[in-house]
Amino acid sequence: MQKKKMTIWPYLLIAPALIIVLAVVFVPAVNAILMSFQNYDLRRPNQIGFVGFDNYVAVFQDPIFWRSLWKTILWVVFGVGFQFVFGFALALLLNKNFKGRGIARAVSLIPWVTPGVLIGLMWRWIYDGNYGVLNDLLQKVGIISDNIPFLAQQTTAFPSVIVTIIWQGIPFFALMLLAGLQGIPGELYEAADIDGATYFQKLFQVTIPSLKNTIFVTTLLRIIWVANSVDVIFNMTEGGPAYSSQTLSVYIFNKGNSLNLGYASTMSVLLTLLLSLVAVPYLRNMFKKD
Amino acid sequence: MKKLISTALALVLCAGTLAACGGKDAGGSSAPASSATPASSAASSEATANEPVTITHWYWADNSEYSAVMQEMVKDFNATNGKNITVVAEEYPWDGGKYSENLFTAVMGGGGPDTASWKLTATPLFTANNLLANLDDYVANWADKDLIEPSLYDVMKQASGTDSIYVMPWNTQVLYVYYRPSMFKEAGVEVPKTYDDFLTACEKLTRDTNGDGKTDVYGFGMRGSKGGQEPWGSFVQARGGNFEDFTTPEAIQGMQDFIDLYTKGYVPPTATADGFNEIIANFKSGKTAMTVHHTGSSAEMVDTFGDDVAAFPFPAGKGQWTSMGDTENVMFESCENKDAAFEWMSYLATGKGQETWCVATGNVPVSKEVQQLPQFQEDRFMKASIEGAPYAGIFPILDTTTEWISNVWPNTVAAALTGQMTAEQAMQELQKALYA
Repeated sequence: MQKKKMTIWPYLLIAPALIIVLAVVFVPAVNAILMSFQNYDLRRPNQIGFVGFDNYVAVFQDPIFWRSLWKTILWVVFGVGFQFVFGFALALLLNKNFKGRGIARAVSLIPWVTPGVLIGLMWRWIYDGNYGVLNDLLQKVGIISDNIPFLAQQTTAFPSVIVTIIWQGIPFFALMLLAGLQGIPGELYEAADIDGATYFQKLFQVTIPSLKNTIFVTTLLRIIWVANSVDVIFNMTEGGPAYSSQTLSVYIFNKGNSLNLGYASTMSVLLTLLLSLVAVPYLRNMFKKD
Repeated sequence: MKKLISTALALVLCAGTLAACGGKDAGGSSAPASSATPASSAASSEATANEPVTITHWYWADNSEYSAVMQEMVKDFNATNGKNITVVAEEYPWDGGKYSENLFTAVMGGGGPDTASWKLTATPLFTANNLLANLDDYVANWADKDLIEPSLYDVMKQASGTDSIYVMPWNTQVLYVYYRPSMFKEAGVEVPKTYDDFLTACEKLTRDTNGDGKTDVYGFGMRGSKGGQEPWGSFVQARGGNFEDFTTPEAIQGMQDFIDLYTKGYVPPTATADGFNEIIANFKSGKTAMTVHHTGSSAEMVDTFGDDVAAFPFPAGKGQWTSMGDTENVMFESCENKDAAFEWMSYLATGKGQETWCVATGNVPVSKEVQQLPQFQEDRFMKASIEGAPYAGIFPILDTTTEWISNVWPNTVAAALTGQMTAEQAMQELQKALYA
């Protein structure tokens, strides 16, 4: 009797969490998959019904989808890539002993704790082609003579929003990597010093290998978050001009807002598959025994 | 085991993408498609005049002053209707159009109010789901019905895609051209009487005022972002085009004019991304000499410029058109006291509520009686609105219109302005997307 109780308890304890996860993740996810096979357009409620793979065919024939997918790849590669590089540099800096380090650590978190909507609005004004501070600064230092309409040109809109997402994500990498850096035993560096290792040798032979798991998890989280991110782009450009800054998640958001939920769900399923293709091997590699 | 954990972890993380989309289904999957019945047939269930009746009304207000005005109107109606009707007005944010989506979700879910403030663009979605009460019989038997222009009832019918009235006119915002008289004088430009005059004025008003070789004032503040289709429509129609077929040579020429203004530098180079805030800021800072908007901006324009701001209706070419921004009221099919609800709606359309609201907001009244009041006849901006009202109209309201306005129009026009598409290609794209 006692033994039976012991076997039920663990299940009872995880049940609330499991039920919540099922309700808020699993059920909507399954629902989205089902909707991707339906002509689920609330603007045409009388036509709602299963259409097989029609949505998938339509998505694959949609040039805006392919364009948005390409933008998503660039968005993630450049966005997360530079976040990591600058975040790592910041973490190394903040790991050093210097006066005012506590304040520097706190201030460096500001971009991360600022809501994405606010960041979008703030940078939109920074980039503004008429009154933006960036144009003003560039003119004052003589780099440009005429204002650049950063968010109104197809050539500059997307790089501009990428710079913004990089700025936003640097502190997250810095924070996670700083925590990792503080967990590396000092003896490893002492041993490296005794062996006569240079700074870069210590960086590549001690620091980075010790941070491997942190880097893996942090990068994976950011890849998923950045790929799904809508708020910054939407508040800066709404995906324009001429779809030049529209990623797949913004396209999904726009289609969902237009109440074409079947089409939006189809693209969501494809984006999920795409992210899974990255995430699963990534995590398997992370847990692989050296 | 670790492999299993890693796979499961990755899938759970990625499933968030799906969950976010699938979650949108809430409220949408169960369509309680009750059939629309004429309002008169529901009258049998009405409360008698002496029984207390409560009507719930949803509305949005652009600022706290308007909120207070609405609550005052409700108080006035409740105190004076003499039929024991109590209106409870609940305010919800407009939130860039989310108001209509929230209303849809609420009504589809079996909740929602008895009546609500409205934008015509939401009509097809609600009529397709049989959520709105048919007002034909109520309007036919209404003593004040002739106080509203018959053309407005036609617009209401057009919006529903039927021959019935589901939407009750309340007030309009007719777009006109704001201009700076001092800039016109400096550039030696007269107020445009024709569309050609207008295009010439855009050119002449574009000036380098300090001689540094850079443009300081642009002739026209073009809105290339969301909402820009309204002034753009005036260009298309001025060339003799129409909204049923964007691919006619006349409509394409209208688009070409729009493109020319951008490529020749008569509008700010930021035009492709300029929305409401930007065109108003550019006009108020003196960066543009003309821009298109309605009376909603007149108070702040006068605050900024005093007498150095005036207005003229968008001039005529082969055709003439300006956009009619609209705010109406609707009654829902689920309303149990339709007579009382119509009493409240008529108070807003032609009664005291009409005057109070339009005086406070500066919107154009739909009641001919209220239009004749001195405060509307003597105001220069209201005058431009009333002059434009006879040729004011709306874009075709189809189930594709919202997406067309929000996504297709801004991106297609941006592509045309920046040379990625010709005027003809852009118009074909717009035609295909609206009439899909």
